[in-house]
Amino acid sequence: MLQSIRNFISYWYFRYLLVTELYMVEKWERTMFHIVLFIVLSVLYIFNTTIMLSLVKLLTSNLFHGGDTLQRDKLVPVMQNSEL
Amino acid sequence: MSGATLEAELYESSSKFLNGDVLASDKEIQHLKKTNGYRQDKYLNGHTLGHKPVERQKRTREVKEHFEPPTLIVAIMTHISFYILMFLGYLSQMLFPPKVIKETNRDGYRPMFDRFTAFYLRYVYRRIKDCWNYPICSVPGSEVVLKERVTNDNGWTFQFTGSKRKCLNLASYNYLGFSENTGPCSEHAIASLYKYGVTTGGTRQQNGTCEIHRQLERLMAEFLGVEDAITFGMGFATNALNIPALIAPGCLVISDEKNHASLIVGIRLSGATVKVFRHNNMKHLEKVLQEAIYYGQPKCATHTPWKKIVIIVEGVYSMEGTIVHLPQVIALKKKYKAYLYLDEAHSIGAMGRRGGGVVDYFGCDPKDIDILMGTFTKSFGSHGGYIAGTKEFISYLRQHSFASAHAWAMAPPLAAQIVSVLETLMGRDGTDEGRRRIEQLARNTRYVRLRLEQIGVIIHGCDDSPVVPILVYLYSKIAAMVRILIEHRIATVGVGYPATPLTQGRIRICLSAAHTKEQLDYALDVIEKVADELGLKYSRRPRDLTPIDYHKIKVYTEESL
Repeated sequence: MLQSIRNFISYWYFRYLLVTELYMVEKWERTMFHIVLFIVLSVLYIFNTTIMLSLVKLLTSNLFHGGDTLQRDKLVPVMQNSEL
Repeated sequence: MSGATLEAELYESSSKFLNGDVLASDKEIQHLKKTNGYRQDKYLNGHTLGHKPVERQKRTREVKEHFEPPTLIVAIMTHISFYILMFLGYLSQMLFPPKVIKETNRDGYRPMFDRFTAFYLRYVYRRIKDCWNYPICSVPGSEVVLKERVTNDNGWTFQFTGSKRKCLNLASYNYLGFSENTGPCSEHAIASLYKYGVTTGGTRQQNGTCEIHRQLERLMAEFLGVEDAITFGMGFATNALNIPALIAPGCLVISDEKNHASLIVGIRLSGATVKVFRHNNMKHLEKVLQEAIYYGQPKCATHTPWKKIVIIVEGVYSMEGTIVHLPQVIALKKKYKAYLYLDEAHSIGAMGRRGGGVVDYFGCDPKDIDILMGTFTKSFGSHGGYIAGTKEFISYLRQHSFASAHAWAMAPPLAAQIVSVLETLMGRDGTDEGRRRIEQLARNTRYVRLRLEQIGVIIHGCDDSPVVPILVYLYSKIAAMVRILIEHRIATVGVGYPATPLTQGRIRICLSAAHTKEQLDYALDVIEKVADELGLKYSRRPRDLTPIDYHKIKVYTEESL
């Protein structure tokens, strides 16, 4: 069981190496590429969660809170307020 | 009388002639109409404009061409992975400069060698260098013995291990299996050594011509069905040095985009203008021809016609595995009065019922082709090249070609080998051997192509071409496949960028009459396994999985046409 899982993972890792051309590079280059890839992805993640998300929140808050930043936590649609 | 009425009268009187027509009752004019080259009834498929009606081709084949483009995702992945490779290469070069000799005391000079080429060789090709340039130590017949080697520094240097590995040879251009060191052909070649010696010691014009050269040329002309032929000691030089003798500046060369480097070198040496048409695309060829005739030479006074227009095509394209659409090219050539240069390097011997190349394969008249060129390196198991055509043309070449004047004549044993191969193919040795080999090659080709289609890999080219490229797209897959196949004792050739477009890396299989069904079955089974393992089954075409009976494949019979 464990062996078959290991085989499965190693086979698909081999296929992954093939399609990214990492199969033919040296080991340290492979590691280097994975580190760079990891750094790029994590920076993107941090950027998205901190800056982009807050920016989106700021820009779209008008739709939900009618511009009243104090009532931020009450999710009351603008349309309902204007009808009243 | 006012001017308007005069004009009307003139118009009235000549109205019948405005569209070039004549009064049907006038018999004299009717007669003139016929002798004037105006012969509507003699047009054949709209191909002829000349005075003489052109004989219809007796039989033509439908060439089925396979070209399956990669899916978008495959193309995108190929590009991305290529950039990954480039990035890692530049990174590696920056961090660890290569330990190679550098030019010193060269301040202010530009580097002598192209930087990108050097980078490419060191950081892309070097990594998978073990898949190419394998040293061999046997005759490359149906099997070949590879000398094994190892690398401890990722391809910078290699050491021989001392062991040898016998592999099935799917890499050589040994189409008819004449590359052998036993048998009547090689015996004849060895016997000629005692008569003529190893080399001629001169060029064809200066005491290098032996009796066997004349014999070979007469036999070759007879084999091809033309008046005369001339042979040279080197196939590449046949193209590169003879084209400049035929074409001068002011001529237009219309060349297929996949033409071999030797043709391109020859065209560049000649200094003629080149226009390239898309690979095997007859519509584009016609458009290029029409434009050339409409506009003439661009740098001269308007509408100066070209001195001559030469269409250069190959018979079988070695990288694509495609066959030229010869009947259509001949029709276009006749329509627009252009010359046709046909390079049969890969097709002579390998195609056609008699082994006469694509001309024989399509059943065309060899006299329709102005310049027939070919090499002896592939099917004949020898070396050198030939050009065949009319007597006057060949005499002109004997006088004016650089290869005839300055290049060494073909070594007599090589010529003897070709003579005996030609005699075998023409059935003059009293056996059925030549015919058997041609049919075996055709059957092997059909069989392997059908089986590969069943496996589901993408193959390019025509059904009958003995070069079979299997598309694998990525360098890693080329390298992995070549390595695994060598592990399984099968030798193949991988081809990647820059020899092919970036997104079309491939493994090339060359079939031979020397392969037996058992050998091919073994190779196909291994390829199927490897294709599964590496994910090469890119084809999205529906597959016909009915088993193929090797012995029932029809080749060169009337039904197979």
